[in-house]
Amino acid sequence: MPMISTSTILLISLGYFALLFLVAYYADRRRKMGKSLLANAHVYTLSLAVYCTSWTFYGSVGRAATGGLEFLPIYLGPTLIAFTWWFLLRKMVRISKQQNITSIADFLSSRYDRSAIMGAIVTLFAIFGITPYIALQLKAIAHTLDILSMPLSIHVVDLSSYSEKLPGSIDTAFFVAFILAMFGILFGARHLDSSERHEGLVVAVALESLIKLLAFLAVGIFVTYGLFDGFADVFQRFFEQFPERRHLFYLGTEQTPYTKWFTLIILSMMAVMFLPRQFHIMVTENSDEQHIKKAMWRFPAYLFLINLFVLPIALAGLLMSGGDTSQADYFVLTLPLSTGHPWLALLVFVGGISASAGMVMVSSVTISTMVLNHLVMPVILKMNVHVQDFSGILINLKRLGILGIVFLGYFYFKVIGDSYALVNIGLISFAAATQFAPAIIGGLYWKRANHKAAVAGIGAGFLLWAYTLLIPSFVRSGWLSSDILQNGLYNIGLLKPLELFGLRGFDIYTHSLFWSMLFNLAAFLTVSFFVKQSESEAVQAEKFIDVFIETKDQPSQLKRISKAPTVMEFVELMSKFIGEKQAKSAISDYLKDQEVDSRGSLSDHEIPHLKNFTERTLAGHVGAAPARIILDNYLAARGSKMEDVFDIFGTVTISHASSREQLSVLYDAAQIASKSTDFQKTLDSILELLAQQFKFDLCVIRFLEPESMTLIVKSLVGQSSERFGQSERNLNMETYIGQAFLSNVTMVVNDTEYLDKPASAKIIKREEITCFAHTPIVLEGEPVGVLSAFSKTVRGIFTQEFVALFENLAGQIGIAWRNHQQLQELLLVRDQEREMEIAKEIQRGLLPSSLPILDTISLAGLCVPAHQVGGDYYDFISRENATYDLVIADVSGHNIGSALIMAEARTFIHARIHNIKQPAEMLQELNSYFLKDLDRSELFVTMFYLQYNPENHQLIYGNAGHSNPLIWKHNKKQVERLDAEGLIFGIKNNISFEQKSTTLEVGDLLLLYTDGIIEAENNAKDFFGTERLEKLLQECDTLEPMEIIDQILSQVRIFTGMRHFIDDITLVVMKILK
Amino acid sequence: MKETKENSVREAWILCLILGLVMINFPFIHIFNTDQMILGIPVLILYFLIGWPASIAVIWLFVRNLEAGSADSPDEHMDNDSSR
Repeated sequence: MPMISTSTILLISLGYFALLFLVAYYADRRRKMGKSLLANAHVYTLSLAVYCTSWTFYGSVGRAATGGLEFLPIYLGPTLIAFTWWFLLRKMVRISKQQNITSIADFLSSRYDRSAIMGAIVTLFAIFGITPYIALQLKAIAHTLDILSMPLSIHVVDLSSYSEKLPGSIDTAFFVAFILAMFGILFGARHLDSSERHEGLVVAVALESLIKLLAFLAVGIFVTYGLFDGFADVFQRFFEQFPERRHLFYLGTEQTPYTKWFTLIILSMMAVMFLPRQFHIMVTENSDEQHIKKAMWRFPAYLFLINLFVLPIALAGLLMSGGDTSQADYFVLTLPLSTGHPWLALLVFVGGISASAGMVMVSSVTISTMVLNHLVMPVILKMNVHVQDFSGILINLKRLGILGIVFLGYFYFKVIGDSYALVNIGLISFAAATQFAPAIIGGLYWKRANHKAAVAGIGAGFLLWAYTLLIPSFVRSGWLSSDILQNGLYNIGLLKPLELFGLRGFDIYTHSLFWSMLFNLAAFLTVSFFVKQSESEAVQAEKFIDVFIETKDQPSQLKRISKAPTVMEFVELMSKFIGEKQAKSAISDYLKDQEVDSRGSLSDHEIPHLKNFTERTLAGHVGAAPARIILDNYLAARGSKMEDVFDIFGTVTISHASSREQLSVLYDAAQIASKSTDFQKTLDSILELLAQQFKFDLCVIRFLEPESMTLIVKSLVGQSSERFGQSERNLNMETYIGQAFLSNVTMVVNDTEYLDKPASAKIIKREEITCFAHTPIVLEGEPVGVLSAFSKTVRGIFTQEFVALFENLAGQIGIAWRNHQQLQELLLVRDQEREMEIAKEIQRGLLPSSLPILDTISLAGLCVPAHQVGGDYYDFISRENATYDLVIADVSGHNIGSALIMAEARTFIHARIHNIKQPAEMLQELNSYFLKDLDRSELFVTMFYLQYNPENHQLIYGNAGHSNPLIWKHNKKQVERLDAEGLIFGIKNNISFEQKSTTLEVGDLLLLYTDGIIEAENNAKDFFGTERLEKLLQECDTLEPMEIIDQILSQVRIFTGMRHFIDDITLVVMKILK
Repeated sequence: MKETKENSVREAWILCLILGLVMINFPFIHIFNTDQMILGIPVLILYFLIGWPASIAVIWLFVRNLEAGSADSPDEHMDNDSSR
């Protein structure tokens, strides 16, 4: 009667699986919430212990019982290799993250030219090596379940004979296989993203590792300290009972020769790194490189603990079973059972399930990924199937793959069953994994290691491994005739699988390792030496080898893609394989880190990066080789290809601001700007340079026309329809050019597929522009125009560097424009000056050029304008009746306007002098005549009008607000002022001017002046003033009129200390002669 | 500079790996491959029971060094390490 009913066992097993599901589900949820359980070195370490399968959980004790210490190297090797993890494993992890590596096949394929063949070989190799291993796990679960549900008595009495009567009614292995496959599908193939980590799966594996360790330690402690009295006691009693089996504790024995010992250490060192499931857990699922540090000692410690009690349990089992080793593999389970501790046995059973399940789950997911990516995908791609969305098919294929792999193991177990091959599959698969070592380690540190060499090496290793290890194990399992073992292939003695080329005296593993490694290494090294790798492969090799070397901004990418797909097209391509959601989130992640211009498009030189990113992302889902094929096919179908960037442009865009070519363009532009005197030519030349160097289809310079506030085309190079390039542009934010000008920023549209200004979009579409940019031409912070460039063939020219160049060119144009403006102004001033000179001449002509020489009076007049032209006016007009009119006037200001008014006054006076007889009348007429003109020009005029009759010496006069003339009374020796009521011109209409008269005598002096004299300032801001003038006039009694003027001028100059007068100065002197 | 320190760390690890390989292989291990027992446990077994944890301890010390190094200045730390 069984101690534990089958139903209890099943319940507990199912319960345990349910727990695993829950834990995995919880872990996945935590991950989604961003609180990853994987961000924990303990979980990483424990998950690595997937290394310990049921082959070690149960098998270690079995091997210890039969072979002694030979179980130990399997764990010593990993402890040793852990020394290399900080550089070897870390390097693999770093590379895998950078390259989105999904599996060991992908790793090798990626390193070696993303070769599809490489991936396929490794995958096939893995299927051969791993499927039997899965079978072994299923067998262990099924078998232990049977043992556990057997009646207790049988364990002690006759376990071996009973084993044949095991009930076949329930096919436990089938259910276990099914559950494990489901687990793999649920947590390993929920989405098609092997590059993303399978958090649930890993956490479940970690839990399993913990359970199996605890279970094993529990049994160990129970046996060593419960059944026995410690280690020494177990050994003591064993030696007493089986003195002939002392060899179990020694090395160099027939059972465990030193060579085998060494071989096993090497095999386990490699296996722990390169078994597909180990690679998956250690490398692909690694979430943090820092975890490696912890795992480096924790994982060996785990191995130490799980092995601590192997020997005591084995010895105890032998003691209890009377030395029978036939069921030694299950001592761990039978010891607690036979000593009446079924619950402990149940714990062990659960531990065993853990060991098996972990391996099956991880391996099936790993291998199915490999099969999908390296066997199925290349075929699908080759067949060129046209499907809208591959992602659904792919994920289902992957699920199918997991199911397939697990059930392949199941059928292997069912059909082939218990055999030599199955029992030894652990080491056989270790030996298989070892064949990857040269290609991987060589690929990590040796640049010359190339694709062909790796294929040759692994291929040769694979063949030798199969011939020297797989075939003998098949023979021993009875599936092949033993003929080949005894006589060799085709009866050639040298080809005996176990004594290849006559090498005798070694155990099967050493023999196999030696030959397979010899051929593997030899092929790998020789081919690497003699075959030159392709350029793309060398680039890839460097990415692997120099993964820790910080790459400088990757100036190497001097490629661009012709007819490059747009961002959206890349997304569509990705969606096809990984689903739309994934593709979109991937691209948004990518774009976050990119220099995306304001238009959201990528520049030409970033497209290759995007292509690489797309390839990497796809690689994360379908593997490197298929990803490469997908991209290549896609680009080929479009007619796109990678090409060297057209010379100058490439370096300008890619290199930094100091790039020579960029500088040379700017230099050329500067040369053009400085040399050419013709502004139009300068603009044209700069545009030509721009269009030529960067292959633009159209380049335009527009300048602002301030009056109409439109941008007027100043220069244009390239073809354009009349309506497009040549038309002027209104300034508003509706257009890109408007925005560029108004907001004074460069507007770049690298891909006209994406436009947000409908007004512009229409035109752009019509003109078939693919990308364009507008940059404001700025002068002292103010935009004065816009430089535009359009391309109809390429997209994404405007990289950040190029925009900088573009803006720089605009700056140069701005400077050229300023120079041009200044030159224009200069020219204008020169013209004006010439005109003023003419005006001056004319104005001088308006003044009396010479005064009449009369016997009655002596006259002199002088006008010194402050500038070329002035507003002062004096005149001397003789009338018919022998009277003389004297006029002095001062128009405010000393510019052309003043001169014109002055001329107007003169014309008026001369025209009307015969009709208007009296000074007051003249002033009145002038006032009403000037009123309108003066009002408009905001000028005013003062005037003193006199009329002298030599006959009666009478002087009549009127004043329009002018400075009072002075009269030197020769006889009285005093100065008098002439004054009369009257307003200045231009203030009011219809004003009357007072007319006065006075009589002059011989010797009297009349001095007319403008306020330039009396308002002349000295340094102390004092005016020259009327008093000084009066005093001066007194002293001029004897002088001639002209001398008086000179005297006054020189005195005024002395007073002001300046030669030049600030105001116009006019002086008229009249002396009465008789 | 940094690379050479990386290298020196790597060399130390490889040295340990080789030392480990030597110490658990013929002929070194032959020293312990005797009939003698200490505390009732065969010498070879005892050798593993002590040697194994010892090698794990060595890794642990190395790693602790690495971590202490990365906590402040990794370069400086490794410098000290190699000069010691």
